[in-house]
Amino acid sequence: MPSPRPDYGRHLPAAADLDMTPMIDCVFLLMIFFALVIDLSQRNLEDLVLPRAAFRELDDKPPEHRPVLNVLQDGSVIHNQQVVHDPRRDGDDFGRVRALLLTLRSTGLQQGKFRLATDPAGGATSLLDDPILVRADKWTEWRHVTALLQQCSQPDVGFWKIELALAEIDRESAPAGAGGGR
Amino acid sequence: MNFLDEVREPVRLDMTPMIDCVFLMIIFFVCIDFRVLEAKLPAFLPKDVGSRTTVVLPKENLVVRIHPATPGTPVYRDGANPTGLDPTTKRPWRFQLEGHTVRWEVGPRPCPDAISLAAELRRIATDPQSLVPDPATGTTKLLPVVLEGLPGTYYQDLAATTDMVHAAGFREIQFGASGWR
Repeated sequence: MPSPRPDYGRHLPAAADLDMTPMIDCVFLLMIFFALVIDLSQRNLEDLVLPRAAFRELDDKPPEHRPVLNVLQDGSVIHNQQVVHDPRRDGDDFGRVRALLLTLRSTGLQQGKFRLATDPAGGATSLLDDPILVRADKWTEWRHVTALLQQCSQPDVGFWKIELALAEIDRESAPAGAGGGR
Repeated sequence: MNFLDEVREPVRLDMTPMIDCVFLMIIFFVCIDFRVLEAKLPAFLPKDVGSRTTVVLPKENLVVRIHPATPGTPVYRDGANPTGLDPTTKRPWRFQLEGHTVRWEVGPRPCPDAISLAAELRRIATDPQSLVPDPATGTTKLLPVVLEGLPGTYYQDLAATTDMVHAAGFREIQFGASGWR
């Protein structure tokens, strides 16, 4: 009677296979997490079609605390996804915009996000040395933008550094899938 | 089964990690939305006018007025309801203005089209009388340009005009708002 074959495999040490799958899963999940976190900073940018301009400065390093005001085609002013001014509701009354700008100014100065500009002689002024970004759709009437600029430049508000958003590519005339400003 | 059977067992490729990765990459690229950097047009408002009580001497400048020539027709995307809200953005539906044109006035001189505007701006930019003293450097510079968009003009018109003024050689461009209200 032949002796049973010994089962060597049962006694051999298991091969030390390193399973990379969980690590890759975690890496990709982290990438998605950070992509979404970064995206939160873009929430104050409305989906507008900005005009294309050759004369522009790249906004590759925007100031961290720069306020962003969006002006829609109907003249509505949006800040952090909140409608601050609705022409159908408010007409020519920019009281809410003015209140918002004053709040931004006071909280920004209190928290050290903003600082006051100095005049050429070195004296302090009531003007803010920090910019504000105004984004408007290319087919927004200029009078809506002008009205907002006037509110920004009021003496007690003091935002005199206005930046107007432009795009590198006109999304309206660009082929589908092309990039552009948002 | 003997040892040879175990050795000859076909090697199966586990597709699960690869499918995991593919799906995660799809989600990732959908989320980043291929964002592209914006540009900006620095438009510092006059620091000494309107915000302070100091006396400021009037500065010589070139006023370029933009008038609407043809108002244009708003065209909405198929399926858009101009009186409702876009369900995607929760904002009013966006329109595209077709057939909108403008004309310009450079000082008192009318410019019916972009070609005549560019020619007029170039003429002024090369005129020695257009140079004004520059207190910052003690030399001279081209006089500043003030763009005024009249009712019926759009942000696009101002951006395009800014480009043309800059292309003519003017570097100090301001935005005016006279005659609005």
